[in-house]
Amino acid sequence: MTEVRSEHPVIAAWHRRPISSRVGSRRFRRRLIIATYAGWLVWAGSVKFLSYGPLPPIWLSLLLVGGNLVVQAVWVTRRTIINTPALLDVELDERLVQSRNAAFRMAFKIFAWATLFGWPVSFLAIQLQPNNQGILNALILFVGVTMLATTLPTVIVAWREPDPTEPERPAAAQ
Amino acid sequence: MAPSIQNRIGVLRAERGLSRQQLADAVGINYQTVGYLERGDYNPSLELAFRIAEYFGLPLEAVFSRQPFVPMSSQLYGKEESA
Repeated sequence: MTEVRSEHPVIAAWHRRPISSRVGSRRFRRRLIIATYAGWLVWAGSVKFLSYGPLPPIWLSLLLVGGNLVVQAVWVTRRTIINTPALLDVELDERLVQSRNAAFRMAFKIFAWATLFGWPVSFLAIQLQPNNQGILNALILFVGVTMLATTLPTVIVAWREPDPTEPERPAAAQ
Repeated sequence: MAPSIQNRIGVLRAERGLSRQQLADAVGINYQTVGYLERGDYNPSLELAFRIAEYFGLPLEAVFSRQPFVPMSSQLYGKEESA
């Protein structure tokens, strides 16, 4: 931690918050978001593709399910700004708390609309498509909506938060 | 959008030769938030405003204002300058 050389030490008794510095560059965060959602699309496409043929070998099914679980686990447990639900208020400053809360509000709206449309589409998929394809499509939609629900707030924060520039050198006194 | 609150954080920080990181560490915020405050992109809570004013050893109204500040040079030398 940098030593403060000010002649005016803070004497007020306020709780010092450990600010998380594990933000990462904006490019890294956006790549991670795109990779995660693209990974889910690949997973959904693979499941859909395999469903047209004979029953896939058990190892392939386990690989698909296991891979998906690993990605989800990384999202849920990583304690970075990308996974801000894991960060408590005391670890963020007031601006970041506001930013996270705003992301949660927006994510809820998006999730509510996704659910509103996803539910009847899933129902129609089950009713109209034969050979269990409808149930599979409904399952893929369900997993997609669930993934949106668990990741969207943090994705919004991670996408928006600007690049953490290097702390500047002390400004020259004027 | 809430009206921006004017502040002199940038000037005061430059006067004292402090980096954003040093000020951020002293008042317990992320150093990026210091940049947000200086640009007027973020209005601080009352608690944070008091903390910053206390750190600079100045009254709150010397650091924050709802009206544009008169330049310090004008205040010091008594010359009226139109902003």
